[in-house]
Amino acid sequence: MSDTGSNDPYDPNRPRQPEQPEQPEQPQEPRWGSNPPPPPEAPQSEPGGWSGGQLGGQQPGTPPPYGAPGAGQYGQPYGQPYGQPGGTPPPNYLVWAILSTIFCCLPLGIASIVFAAQVNGKYASGDIAGAQEASRKAKTFAVWSAGIGVVVAVIYILVVIVAVGTGSS
Amino acid sequence: MTAHVVSRTRRGAALAAPLGVATLALAAVGLVAAVDPNEPGHYPTCPFLAVTGQLCPGCGSLRAVHAMTHGDLAAALGLNLLTVLAVLPLAVIWLRWARRRWAGISRTDIAPAPVLWTLLVVVLAFGLLRNLPVGAPLAP
Repeated sequence: MSDTGSNDPYDPNRPRQPEQPEQPEQPQEPRWGSNPPPPPEAPQSEPGGWSGGQLGGQQPGTPPPYGAPGAGQYGQPYGQPYGQPGGTPPPNYLVWAILSTIFCCLPLGIASIVFAAQVNGKYASGDIAGAQEASRKAKTFAVWSAGIGVVVAVIYILVVIVAVGTGSS
Repeated sequence: MTAHVVSRTRRGAALAAPLGVATLALAAVGLVAAVDPNEPGHYPTCPFLAVTGQLCPGCGSLRAVHAMTHGDLAAALGLNLLTVLAVLPLAVIWLRWARRRWAGISRTDIAPAPVLWTLLVVVLAFGLLRNLPVGAPLAP
């Protein structure tokens, strides 16, 4: 077999996905690390998800995203696999923000939380470009707080080594 | 046949990042457990505290982690309430991340922005309160 195998319906390692026999031309599922398709104009409300800001946004004429009978055996929305409109939100680096607030530098951590909140708020309101810009800033602050944390730690270790060295000699 | 091998390889590579992060985190926790932050000189002082003389929202975190690893949850809560409360959300975020990597899917859901703004307010209020007499129980 020449393909990478994940479309083999008998592959026990195949990632979980609802069977969709009605769509044999279904494109190969994206690998992690592959580039996601371009973001949509506005995020769609994901059932069971946290798309936010879309309360009551279901259009009256829109068929419910839940599946046709027999499809979506895992409860995932039928006909709306990941990567399609609704897509991948820009990363907000919230974990970096929390860690830098707790363990590193308060101002950087606070700024990181602000940008993380901006990412989600702008994405939820359909401002994809703004969300990506906020994501870029959040990443910058994450890198800076990690870098400063490492630099401070290294300097401190050097100071301690020097102090111990001079104290014992 | 090769399909299975490729699929396993892909999953192994996909889990490398979460497992690496978990290893680093456990190593850091192990270090804090073994090297007591209650002893002066073991770790650098919080830069914010050193410069301003005021407690930051994270002050007491190393001692709180140390107390948690030694089973003293009450002491950990007294040293830094937010750090103790952050453990479970961080673990959940890690699990969801690892599960997405395992399944090879992208993230499609985001936390509502008001939740994050609330987090910001809570962190700032916590940092302010623990410097005031009324918030003394929140100070390490």
